[in-house]
Amino acid sequence: MTPARKLLLQKILAHSLLIAFIVIILSPFAMVVAASFRKGNFAPSKIFLTPQELSLEHWKFVLGIPYQEVVNPATGETRTIQAGSPPLGWFWNSIKVSAAATIGIILLSGTAAYAFSRIRFKFRRRILTGLLILQMFPAVLMLVAYHTILDDIGQTARWIGLNTHPGLILVYLGGISTNIWMIKGYFDTIPASMEESARIDGASHFQAFLRVLLPMSLPIFAVVFILSFIFFMTEYPIASVVLTNTDTYTLAVGANSFLGEQEKLWGRFAALAVLSGVPITVVFLLCQKFVIGGLVSGGVKE
Amino acid sequence: MTFSRVLVALIALPALYISFLLYQTGNPWFALLLLIATAVGFFVYGSKSAYAYRYLFPGLFGFGLFVIFPLLYTVYISFTKYSSQHLLSIDRCVAALLDERFTSGTGTFSYTLYRQDGGEYILLLRDKKDPNHALVSSPFVLKPNLTAEKPLPLEPLPPGQQPPGKPLGFEQVMRERLFMQMRGFRASLPDQTLLSLETLQDFTAHERLWILNKDGTLTNRKDRTVIRPDFKRGFFVNDKGDQIGPGFRTMTGWDNYLQILTDPRIQVPFLRIFIWNVAFAGLSVLGSFAVGLLLSVVLDWKELHFRKVYRLLLILPYAVPGILSILILKGMFNQEFGIVNAILRGIFGVAPEWETNPWGARIMILIVNIWLGYPYMMLVCTGMLQSIPQAIFEASAIEGGTPSTNLFKITLPLILPAMVPLLIGSFSYAFNNFVVIYLLTGGGPTMVGAGIAGETDILVSYTFRLAFRDTGQNYGLASAIATVIFLIVATLAWVNLRANRAHFKI
Repeated sequence: MTPARKLLLQKILAHSLLIAFIVIILSPFAMVVAASFRKGNFAPSKIFLTPQELSLEHWKFVLGIPYQEVVNPATGETRTIQAGSPPLGWFWNSIKVSAAATIGIILLSGTAAYAFSRIRFKFRRRILTGLLILQMFPAVLMLVAYHTILDDIGQTARWIGLNTHPGLILVYLGGISTNIWMIKGYFDTIPASMEESARIDGASHFQAFLRVLLPMSLPIFAVVFILSFIFFMTEYPIASVVLTNTDTYTLAVGANSFLGEQEKLWGRFAALAVLSGVPITVVFLLCQKFVIGGLVSGGVKE
Repeated sequence: MTFSRVLVALIALPALYISFLLYQTGNPWFALLLLIATAVGFFVYGSKSAYAYRYLFPGLFGFGLFVIFPLLYTVYISFTKYSSQHLLSIDRCVAALLDERFTSGTGTFSYTLYRQDGGEYILLLRDKKDPNHALVSSPFVLKPNLTAEKPLPLEPLPPGQQPPGKPLGFEQVMRERLFMQMRGFRASLPDQTLLSLETLQDFTAHERLWILNKDGTLTNRKDRTVIRPDFKRGFFVNDKGDQIGPGFRTMTGWDNYLQILTDPRIQVPFLRIFIWNVAFAGLSVLGSFAVGLLLSVVLDWKELHFRKVYRLLLILPYAVPGILSILILKGMFNQEFGIVNAILRGIFGVAPEWETNPWGARIMILIVNIWLGYPYMMLVCTGMLQSIPQAIFEASAIEGGTPSTNLFKITLPLILPAMVPLLIGSFSYAFNNFVVIYLLTGGGPTMVGAGIAGETDILVSYTFRLAFRDTGQNYGLASAIATVIFLIVATLAWVNLRANRAHFKI
């Protein structure tokens, strides 16, 4: 076999393997898109639908638009169906909670990371190591404690207790330690000389932080923002324990509620998954360069 | 200066007010916590010497409240008996016992309703044994569901007097259906004895069944038995050792930990779960790493076309929210209706039991988790491949190196040292990957003869179900296991940190 033919053969092999792999990987997503437009509730199993199978009922339900459903095929009797609390609202809930929690996380971890990176103080290393190790306690197993704490706080201030978004945001704000590490790592790569010259020119610590260091660190904040936002958008265990009222559901809790033990509403689930999954996916792909750089340099994956 | 004073007031006043509210509503610990936090906050922002903590305080405060405090609380629970059977604190347990009533038969009263001009009623009760002993209520509105209301207090009526209004005869009470509304109606004597309508015409006294003694024991007024709290068992017990009433939370020391070590119903599944947990985390990481590395090496081949398109499509599973992917794949692996088995049946004539067979379920979980995890490994490996000088591969080509020698003799040894911390990080993440297990199989299928444990349970999912699902809701035991898991994972993290001092550069 000539080297040229061998190379060609290798290329064909590589292409076909990659294509086969990609088909396997991507077909579930195509099936979900199809399932969201398919009449009735079928688990994702088909990519191409016949015109008779097409229906917008699941999309109408998810968007909160009323639609007619045939109750009795013999008589043609119909009834109107409209979501009591539209699943679109869950998406909106998730955006609100995630945005608030992410902004909070950035404020808390950004300032803390500055102190860890720039100021030498007692217990600095201990606190930093302690943060990382304590965060290893699985959050799922603190749910008993979270439940009790929010329940107690809710006795005094109901707006911040169980089944409220502020309560959930508060719990989310605890998860800052990996972010502190990531931001601190980035701060460490920026030479302190710039801020020192600003200090010599009469700026305070805080001004040096705000005017000099922050503008230079925007990329890492973008990374933390995107990662935290997406993480909170799809966080399930904590949200499922804190939120019990369908009106307050977030996306993950709501999506899972369609797939109960008794009844699996695959069509509605698929429509909600496409509706919410597409924007998140697009944002992630647009920002992937940032995100990947941050992941590799931070060495920590959420 | 005035500005900072206003700021201090703006923060201090609400903080004081909220801690006062917390104290009033029976949360003294939260009130204290808030006061301390406010005080520390003022010290940090007022003192020059605590300068660094100005930046740390908000973050550490949040971390303390929602990581350290729940963590300590969980450790505390692990030393208590706290489950669905032992849900109440001992005070609430005593209160529940003191609420129990019994029909003492000490008093039976006939009743008469007096209708007032405004449509309200006055209730007159007359002791059947002693007609001179009469009691009267203040005017009240008769409406359905009076059960939920507070008992109506009764005052003694001096002998010979009549309450105001028009008395209604028994027939009229029945005819106007007033009786229906009287059911469940409660009145209380001046000594707090409760009265309620027992028959059509009579009110009977219900007295407290238990009296609280000074030494914390309770005496039964019916049969004069005494019960005392057994802090070991978490129940009130009588002299014969029978449990009475609801259980209460109690400190048990190391009992929950001993149970993990000695109770075969916990110990056997615990060991098996631990082994599967390690295997699950290890194989997930190795599998994703292998797939990711292979893909990144293929995509690193400069002569291949469409590499960018391939790369974008291959990281798609990473960009799609994990919870949606998991639920989608769960539907596809459904062993009766799922597409995976439909295809396997069509091509190979087999239909693996992904849900009922332990090995089927384990393999499905690994496939899904590798599916979710390989893009991250691919991205990381791609980054690291850039740092390998091309000259090495050129030299290898001259020596006649094949792609596989390149992979195993050059690429892998060169990137592995840098990959180790990431692999360990991924391992500890996978070790506690609750969502995948919980949503895919819920831990099932059931492990035979091991209580609620399932064949695919990992420690976290097992503990979660121990605490929140199924019967029992054993918070104490669940917290003990949580603490053990934490110790395992924290040790892992600490070793990782030690081993990679250079990488982490504190």
